[in-house]
Amino acid sequence: MSFRNKIFLIFVITVLASVSLVAYGVTHYTQLAFEQQDAQRTETLVAQFRKEIGQRGDMVVQQVENITNSEPTIHMAIDLARPNTDTSIFLHDANGAAQTYNLDLVEFVNSDGVLISSAQYQARVGYKNDWVTASKNWDGTRAFLKREELPDGVALSLTAVRTYSVGDKTLYIIGGRRLDENFLASLVVPNGMRALLYRNLESSFVPSSLTDASGPVAQADQFQPLIEQMQKQSQQQNVLVKTIQWNNDPASAETFHAIPLPGRNGELLGVLLLGSSGKELVLLKRQIFKIAALVALVAIAIGLLLAWWISKRITRPVEELANGARDVASGRWETHIDVQGNDEIGQLAGAFNHMTNTLAAQKEKLVQTERVAAWRELARRLAHELRNPLFPMQITLENLQRARQLGPAQFQEVFAEGTATLKAELANLNSIVGRFSDFSKMPAPQFARVNVNETLRNAVRLFEPQFTAVGKPAITTEFFLTESLPEIDADPDLLYRAFQNLVLNALDAMPAGGSLTLRTTDGVDTVRIEVSDTGKGLTPEECSRLFTPYYTTKHQGTGLGLAIVQSVISDHHGTISVSSEEGRGATFRIDLPKRQQNAAVKPKPAAPTTIESERTAPAATD
Amino acid sequence: MRFTKSLLLAAISASVFALLASLPMLATKHPKYGGTLRLELQIAKVSLDPREWKTGSVAAAENARLAALIYDRLVTLDDYGRFQPALATEWFHDASSKNWQFKLRPNVKFSDGSALSAKDIVTALQPVLPPGLQISTTENGITIRGTHPVPDLLEQLASGRYFIFRVQSDGNLLGTGPFLLAESSPPTPAEANPSVLKPAHIKFRANEEAWAGRPFLDSIEVTLGDPALRQILNLQVGRADIIDIPPDLVRKARQDNLRVWSSPPATLLALRFDDAQSGASDPRLREALDLALDRDTMANVLLQRQALPAPALLPHWLSGYAFLFGTPMNLDRAKQIRATLPANVAAGSDPLRLRVDAVGDLMKLLGERVAVNARQANIAIQLVGHTVPSSMGAVPPSPSTGLHLIAWHYDSLSPRTELLNLAHYLHSEVSADALPDTGDPEKLYSEERRLLGERQLLPLLLLPDYVGIAPSVRNWTVSPSGEWRLADVWLDSGEPAASNTETIPSRNPAPGVHP
Repeated sequence: MSFRNKIFLIFVITVLASVSLVAYGVTHYTQLAFEQQDAQRTETLVAQFRKEIGQRGDMVVQQVENITNSEPTIHMAIDLARPNTDTSIFLHDANGAAQTYNLDLVEFVNSDGVLISSAQYQARVGYKNDWVTASKNWDGTRAFLKREELPDGVALSLTAVRTYSVGDKTLYIIGGRRLDENFLASLVVPNGMRALLYRNLESSFVPSSLTDASGPVAQADQFQPLIEQMQKQSQQQNVLVKTIQWNNDPASAETFHAIPLPGRNGELLGVLLLGSSGKELVLLKRQIFKIAALVALVAIAIGLLLAWWISKRITRPVEELANGARDVASGRWETHIDVQGNDEIGQLAGAFNHMTNTLAAQKEKLVQTERVAAWRELARRLAHELRNPLFPMQITLENLQRARQLGPAQFQEVFAEGTATLKAELANLNSIVGRFSDFSKMPAPQFARVNVNETLRNAVRLFEPQFTAVGKPAITTEFFLTESLPEIDADPDLLYRAFQNLVLNALDAMPAGGSLTLRTTDGVDTVRIEVSDTGKGLTPEECSRLFTPYYTTKHQGTGLGLAIVQSVISDHHGTISVSSEEGRGATFRIDLPKRQQNAAVKPKPAAPTTIESERTAPAATD
Repeated sequence: MRFTKSLLLAAISASVFALLASLPMLATKHPKYGGTLRLELQIAKVSLDPREWKTGSVAAAENARLAALIYDRLVTLDDYGRFQPALATEWFHDASSKNWQFKLRPNVKFSDGSALSAKDIVTALQPVLPPGLQISTTENGITIRGTHPVPDLLEQLASGRYFIFRVQSDGNLLGTGPFLLAESSPPTPAEANPSVLKPAHIKFRANEEAWAGRPFLDSIEVTLGDPALRQILNLQVGRADIIDIPPDLVRKARQDNLRVWSSPPATLLALRFDDAQSGASDPRLREALDLALDRDTMANVLLQRQALPAPALLPHWLSGYAFLFGTPMNLDRAKQIRATLPANVAAGSDPLRLRVDAVGDLMKLLGERVAVNARQANIAIQLVGHTVPSSMGAVPPSPSTGLHLIAWHYDSLSPRTELLNLAHYLHSEVSADALPDTGDPEKLYSEERRLLGERQLLPLLLLPDYVGIAPSVRNWTVSPSGEWRLADVWLDSGEPAASNTETIPSRNPAPGVHP
């Protein structure tokens, strides 16, 4: 991964992490605030309900006392104190009292416990209400919850009882308000909350007994565990809490606080359920999440741009440095980087520029030095090469001068021998000069489609007689050629010549015989040719100088053979290298591109043969 | 002497003053022609076509009251129970009472001026006559022939739906009665609140050509469907002259010093068992419920003595032997019988469903009382929604209920016919041949006892009809069959009556009523 990508990624991750952290923090603290607010609301509502119950109870007590002290009730009590009173005349009195005093439930009970008049259940008139006569002193008592039997079922009421006595006869006045949907509707419930009432009038859970302000509650079965838990708990003052999720949507979750409503004797008569919807919280969390996602998207977009810009700004000098280093590596030592600023990158660029300047200067010096050395070497080689034939020529001339003293026959013999020697040495000089001339006149490659394997085989075939010459140690050849090797763009003659030089070099490296191995392999864009021998090998120093012109490790040789090979390979935009271990031979590796860019490629010519190459191509050069 | 003269002069002056003061009162005792009687009824709809009435229906009785204004019968009953000629002037029957001949009154005309014919009688009566009776025209009247003796034919023809009318081509009905149907407007949505219907109105005007003479009143305006309390208020403030009062408001009306007339028991409230619900057909359950019912409290407390406990199917004034039946309430025995029943019969999980067909809260209250009484005997009864049928006594049994609180109005003066109608209503096998003669009450008694023994119908209460009458209404009389004789009523628009708290004595069963 590039440095820029790394910086970019780190920047993006940092932005994402920051946004996520902020969103989480906001959501978390919002939830805490909501839960706290919800708890406060619930607590307030519970307190309000208890207060409401108390106030309603006081109102009921007040109204029952008003009924008790009203004129019709007093007349009724007086009439009932008389013997053989027709109680039917009071049948509708409870109805009138209920309407007048705005109570749902009003009943008059005679001193013997017989119900005389009932607003809520007239059909029960004539039956006994023993529970009310069981206690003689109702005055001063507060309102209480009561299970109320009605024609259409059983209801829950907030009831108060008062009495009016005439003589030894007591009239019981019972009044109350129903705890039903109307009661729930009268409660002021904060937004997002609702109040439900379960009338615990049966031994088991009855879904229809659960109502809210608008009537029976849907999916009442969901409350069964909570109600049953409430029914089972021995101390019925505990508030139970349960969260119900109505459907798969978390926003439908609702937390209910169940408040027991005990009767006069402590029995559980009802349960008030205060529900607090989690919808607002979930919606707020979703809103925060949406906003966070939006902010994150915007932040990420901005972050991406910033990251791209910053990473580019940071890495551009680094890239320029890298490119400069690559240029230097490729030989352009005069490379200069233009970097602004005095920061570390700027200092690094300055140092780089200083380095390249120094390197260029050193290179110039080195070139001059090498040029001098080359000239010296050339002079040495020329001197050496020229001295070798000159010395016999000098001796021959001296012999000829001395032969003038001899007889004509002897002179003739010496003259003939001497002239022959001079001719031979002059020819030798001519050959030396020709080779130098050839090296100086390396032709530009003429590219055509060339079969590398075939060219290599032809080059080896030229030397086959020498491999098996009588009196010389044998040299065996091994071919490991990839037959599917594609044709490449190359100059067949130059390539043939380069291969000849490599084979000749190997031949020279194995005076005691050995094995010559030739290998071709197919690469992605290149083909590789390897020529290995089993000679004495090369030292690392020899390897480094091997392609230097006029450098040779042999006693006889111009040192131009491998230089020519390198020149040909270079002209083909290829590379050549050598690997060797002393005593184990050497391997030359040539990588040639399959296709030459921007070069005209002629149709495929015939591969150079041994005879043709001998006639047309320059001879292999040592 | 001067003192004597002065005393004499004062006595003469007082006499003259008293005589002058009594003149208007004397004047009010003479009938007056003219005026419009405002009649308010609680029923929202009436049908003046007797063919549509259902036997025993309370609504049919209301219909008959208004139909008597425009239609006549062949015979009528006077206050003493004697049959009087109406459209028939003479009648004869053979010894077996199977064949009856009626001679028609001549020169009777319908309200459109066309003459009444024997064919009109046949056309009007044939659809409503009981099975087994065939009516046909004769030379100067009609003849009715029965496949079995019909000794109480006159009682039947003098009551119920045996009115004589003619059906016109447009479907309207014509009568020969003292009044004509002048206007009829159905209930209309109120302008202020379209969901509330304004009461329907019917107007009758006097039939100047009535064969029995023009009625005293010029017209009668009938308002239908007004609530009972509003009717009472209207009567109090003088916006109504005659209203019908439900039994549960009679005491209030009397406390308000209104003039209230009550009839003999005319409606039977009873519980009818239906076999639609399993367990309801068990005779032990029926007996247990019968023994658990506290009829006395219902009558004396819930209905504040405005009703009577019903010991039998027929009231005493109709049968003459109702006192022989008792209304024993025995809760312990009821519990014992209930204990012999399977626990799941009429239990809390599957209560006996009681349907109440009623207008107003009275029937619902009674239904609730029945449920309370039954609960004392461990019988669970659940009230289901009460409906408002057009004919309360003849609603077919609901398939989902086992018990039905019904109101049966006695619309025949013949106990034999009433018993047959009740048996027919209960789908009980009572043969008309088993009751051949109204003069044999023993057979009627035994048949009624048998019907009661089946306990398909448990009588609860007997309700009279209650009518509130304005002080200006004079000569208020009612036929033995309970029909109001509004043709004899006249309005006193002058001085108020001597006492507006006067309660017209209840109609005693006239000797002639009881066959």
